Amino acid sequence: MTTQPIGLSSDLAPRQVMRAVIGQFDIAVWRSVSGVVSAWENRCPHRGMRLSHGFVRGESLACAYHGWHYDCEGYCHYIPAHPELTPPRTVQPTIYSVLEQDGLIWTNPAGDAKPVALPCDTDAVRSITVQCDFDTVLKTLSDQKDTSQVSTLAESPRVLSVDIEGITDGVIIAFQQAAAPAPNGQQTVPEQPVIAHALVAAGTEPAKRVAVSRWLESLRRQSEQAVAVTSA
Amino acid sequence: MSGLQHAQQYWYPVAMTNELSSGQSRHTQLLGTPLLLEGGDTLSASTNDGKPLSVQRAFDHWWVTLSDDPLPLFSINEVAETDRTFVPCGVVRVACSPLRAVENFLDIAHFPFVHTDVLGAEPHTEVYKYDVKIDESKDEVIASNIHFYQPQAAKSAEGGIETEYVYRVPAPMVAVLYKTCPQRADAMDVIALFVQPIDEETCDVWPWMALYDDTSSMADLIHFQQFIFLQDRSILENQIPRKLPLDPGQEIPTRADLTSVSYRRWLKKRGAYYGAVEQR
Repeated sequence: MTTQPIGLSSDLAPRQVMRAVIGQFDIAVWRSVSGVVSAWENRCPHRGMRLSHGFVRGESLACAYHGWHYDCEGYCHYIPAHPELTPPRTVQPTIYSVLEQDGLIWTNPAGDAKPVALPCDTDAVRSITVQCDFDTVLKTLSDQKDTSQVSTLAESPRVLSVDIEGITDGVIIAFQQAAAPAPNGQQTVPEQPVIAHALVAAGTEPAKRVAVSRWLESLRRQSEQAVAVTSA
Repeated sequence: MSGLQHAQQYWYPVAMTNELSSGQSRHTQLLGTPLLLEGGDTLSASTNDGKPLSVQRAFDHWWVTLSDDPLPLFSINEVAETDRTFVPCGVVRVACSPLRAVENFLDIAHFPFVHTDVLGAEPHTEVYKYDVKIDESKDEVIASNIHFYQPQAAKSAEGGIETEYVYRVPAPMVAVLYKTCPQRADAMDVIALFVQPIDEETCDVWPWMALYDDTSSMADLIHFQQFIFLQDRSILENQIPRKLPLDPGQEIPTRADLTSVSYRRWLKKRGAYYGAVEQR
């Protein structure tokens, strides 16, 4: 398991909670009112409730089931059923290393998060879920007529720089492997889906960002068709 | 005895008595076994290979057992009080262990967060000390002396009241609640949760009520209970794992969870491992 992107910074506003999946890791990601991002195992230690259903109050995430409040370091500091009680320090979900860099939120569930440095300052375009594996997306991308150059960043084979003819150069696509879409432990297909997080150089004009967004949607459709043709 | 064999000794609800008439049939499943139900004066239930099963009628439901020598069905004495309104509330399918569904029904600390402004509301979140015991003569879990502030305790409640609760767990997949009746100070409403285990991670829940309520329509009473239970389902389908852990250490309880802790111990002691994380 290496460091992976789990979302665009711009898609997680203060007070928001979202669910992210990397391989077999189910993760709750949230941003406090002051802007601190945290990524935890998506399971309240009290009764196993998914914390991604919780709500943010100030600098705490509260579980949707019984309202247990966890601070930005994951320590439970308030149990509403017993307002006078100081919870033991052992009440804490598993905490994952998380960092924001270049417009992306990165995490590593199995060690320190070490984000890939992107080649320039960026603006976010969008994230899109593609129902196939990474290799199929990469092949689809390489086969397209309007992509004159597809290169992987030296630090990571799953972060691409793509020049799209007629739109713009240096579109960054960072891939997240989200293998477990099924709720509650149903059998999952390994290696898929992947989530493509797309960014462009900071200051790229809005019309071009819209064009990149449409191009990405088209890439998704073609990649999924490629899988359908293969398996037909 | 395996968890499955243990569970097979009990009776389970499979239909309301008012829903399958003669000539009508339905497929269902009990403890992983597919069943065919056929309506009539008495419901007939059989497995796929044609084996007929024992059936009995109680609390407005048909109860079925897979055993040739089942344990007796539990009792609810209030069923004899004919001035009550008896309300079978229909069925809700939930993707969770039948044991998780029962445990949630025994929990009051979630009311302000899951049933906001109905069964609970902030800042009234505190759970005061209450009593839990095992009734050795009946082998039931009993939780009593529970007091909780409720904005709308029942369909018939006008405004917030402090409600008293008593819980019974007479079988691993049945919970019976006695709570303050908003209309009669000398009586308690009865709300029961009858759980049909489809398999270890899926259940059909049949809520049933025996109330003193001469103002609400049957449809309103059913709607109120279904509304509450659908809020519970949004929790139950997002607990990880789907099965209930019985051994301590996997989930962290607090004082408010005394009923849950006793329920888990009681299940373990009697070998009720069907739907539990631990397997026998």
